[in-house]
Amino acid sequence: MIGSTDRPQFGRAIARLLRSLRWPIHGLGAALLCAGPAFGEVAVGVSWSNFQEERWKTDEAAIVAELERLGARYLSADAQSSLEKQAADLESLIARGADVLIVLPQDADALVPAIRAAQREGIPVIAYDRLIELPGVLYLSFDNREVGRIQARVIQQRVPNGRYVFVKGSPQDPNSHFVHAGQLDVLRPSIEAGRIEVVGDQFVDGWLPEVAQRITDQLLTANADDIDAIVCSNDGMAGGVVAALSARGLDGTPVSGQDGDHAALHRIALGTQTVSVWKDSRALGRRAAAAAVLLADGTAPAAIPGVRRWTDGPHGRPVDAILLEPVAITRDNLGVVIEANWVPRDVVCRGATAAPPPACEVP
Amino acid sequence: MNGPAPARGLRALDIDPSVAGIALALAVTAIGFDLASGGIFLTPRNLSNLAIQSSVVGIMAAGMVLVIGARHIDLAVGSIVGVTGMAAAVIQVEWFSPDAAWGWPLATAAALGLGALIGAWQGYWTAYRAIPSFIVTLAGLLIFRGLAYLWTDGRTVAPLQPGFERLGGGIDGSIGGPWSLALGILAVAAIGAATARRRAERRRHQIPTRPLWADLVRFGVAAGTILGFVAVMNAYTLPRTDVARGIPLPVLFLIATAIGVDSLARRTRFGRHAFALGSDPEATALAGVRVQRVTLWVFALMGLLAGLAGVLTSARLGAGANSMGTLAELRVIAAAVIGGTSLRGGSGSVVGALLGALFMQSLENGMVLLGVSSALRQICIGLVLLLAVWIDSATRSRGHS
Repeated sequence: MIGSTDRPQFGRAIARLLRSLRWPIHGLGAALLCAGPAFGEVAVGVSWSNFQEERWKTDEAAIVAELERLGARYLSADAQSSLEKQAADLESLIARGADVLIVLPQDADALVPAIRAAQREGIPVIAYDRLIELPGVLYLSFDNREVGRIQARVIQQRVPNGRYVFVKGSPQDPNSHFVHAGQLDVLRPSIEAGRIEVVGDQFVDGWLPEVAQRITDQLLTANADDIDAIVCSNDGMAGGVVAALSARGLDGTPVSGQDGDHAALHRIALGTQTVSVWKDSRALGRRAAAAAVLLADGTAPAAIPGVRRWTDGPHGRPVDAILLEPVAITRDNLGVVIEANWVPRDVVCRGATAAPPPACEVP
Repeated sequence: MNGPAPARGLRALDIDPSVAGIALALAVTAIGFDLASGGIFLTPRNLSNLAIQSSVVGIMAAGMVLVIGARHIDLAVGSIVGVTGMAAAVIQVEWFSPDAAWGWPLATAAALGLGALIGAWQGYWTAYRAIPSFIVTLAGLLIFRGLAYLWTDGRTVAPLQPGFERLGGGIDGSIGGPWSLALGILAVAAIGAATARRRAERRRHQIPTRPLWADLVRFGVAAGTILGFVAVMNAYTLPRTDVARGIPLPVLFLIATAIGVDSLARRTRFGRHAFALGSDPEATALAGVRVQRVTLWVFALMGLLAGLAGVLTSARLGAGANSMGTLAELRVIAAAVIGGTSLRGGSGSVVGALLGALFMQSLENGMVLLGVSSALRQICIGLVLLLAVWIDSATRSRGHS
């Protein structure tokens, strides 16, 4: 009879069918589980220009932590310093479901079409740390011009009159120009009054420390070591500058920097570097993540807390900006970075036994 | 007759035209910069700096001569510098106690080993998997730069052990006056003895020797160069003292590398096989040369030298930074090619590559001395590179086949 002989076969056939489908079923289940929370969850796409500089890892960690706290999803892409790849990255982030984009542009002008395309699709864009001068884009950075002003102020306090050298960043990076403009804001009156003589002024391709070292070798040679201060735009290069000074026994010549690199903070404790302008990039990352979620929920850029109108860009266009305040870290306030858990005390204070700064003194 | 008649006149001097060409260019550049800078370029201090600044590229250019000579290319050398420099820094400061005396020698050895390993890895893919070296080393450029970054999550490692930092030059990174003079005299004596021995050998086997005057002139030039170099290095004193610095350690490494690789290239079977490989790979294989093995070793040597360059770069910087060596591959290849190594493979000169490295660095050194901006420097160096190689290839096709 059909029933009695077919039922076990039929049962076996069903079982076989279910067995063969088990992976697709598991997959579908997993996808539903994962996608479930995604329905209604904001997806924030971050496009990095490259991860080579020390600080971006810190920024990313802060952004991810804040997004987790706010219940948003983190998507990212690394353009590895390629303009073309970054444009493609923006498209791919949108395709992957980003509701808002945070962009650290490799070259802001080159990204304009890709960003306009994103905005047309209703996806708001945040320019992270580097300026993108387009209407509707929220610019989130530290006040880079203020960084330069702080560097110049501290150095000028140490050396009010004398022969100065500028070691600037990469000429292609707009931040180099902002920082230098800030340095000149503070120093121009003294330069024009003749109190400060600028005997050397060079950009350093790629902010590379080795190049900064060679350039400093040459500037010292050209001036027969008669240089009273070196206004250097970042900590990586300051390492090269200080190495060149040490080779001539000129350690202790005032040198500035920015970023709060651990090696630089250690040099400040030892007295070979004067100041590092610290930008707590964790704060920048947190603010960017918070602003991104607000933008994705429909808030207008001008309505984000802390925003102001800013027109200092190269094209002079008005931009909605949140600019955080950088902090000058010198010998006297190394405690600030230690207490903020930015750097361990023993890393900063190692070997600084001869004339320890306040933060390193053994109680 | 016993063989070809000995060359007469100026030809007897046996001057390598491409080496002579680059030496002339170097001299002209140096004099030009000296005049333009008001006599600063040709001071012992600047020349000592120039020598140190050229060391890293020079060491790698020596290895690149063999790589290009074998009709390959190595685009990853800059990234190898980065990752091996990082290795040396991290190992001496973070794996061992920063105060351990044997920390840095071990770290240095590890970095060199890593460089050789990476070179061998690239050599393996090129030789045994038949992937074009352009692609293998392009992949290497990306991979090892990435590894250099990942090792410390981008963090710069500093300071390093003082013993290690000495290797990079700097205030206590030279060997002092007496040792420099001793080495100089030793070198001159060695060259003199070698010349005399070669003359005696050739006479014994009845092969025509160079005319005595030609050998004397060559010896005189060599001796003069060596002793002049030592004099300049000794004339550079420690700041605010009269104590001669002598030959800086990176320059010593450069000289040792040049002598070693030059001997390898010109006097060993390995070197001849490498160039033969570049000249005609099929014929070389048919002649029974183990082509794959030679290729592997060429790349391993290049990796080792890049490792040494990484050690010296981080020692000089006093830090391990993941960006070290960025764009170095371009400078290294340019130095080798300017020095007479043909990109078609089959020929190359280590001495020429050294002079090429010195020449390229003189341009940067001199222009910064004169306060030329970075963009203008870039344009200048690019144009000079083009001009130099064009002149070299034009004169070569006229004189030789």
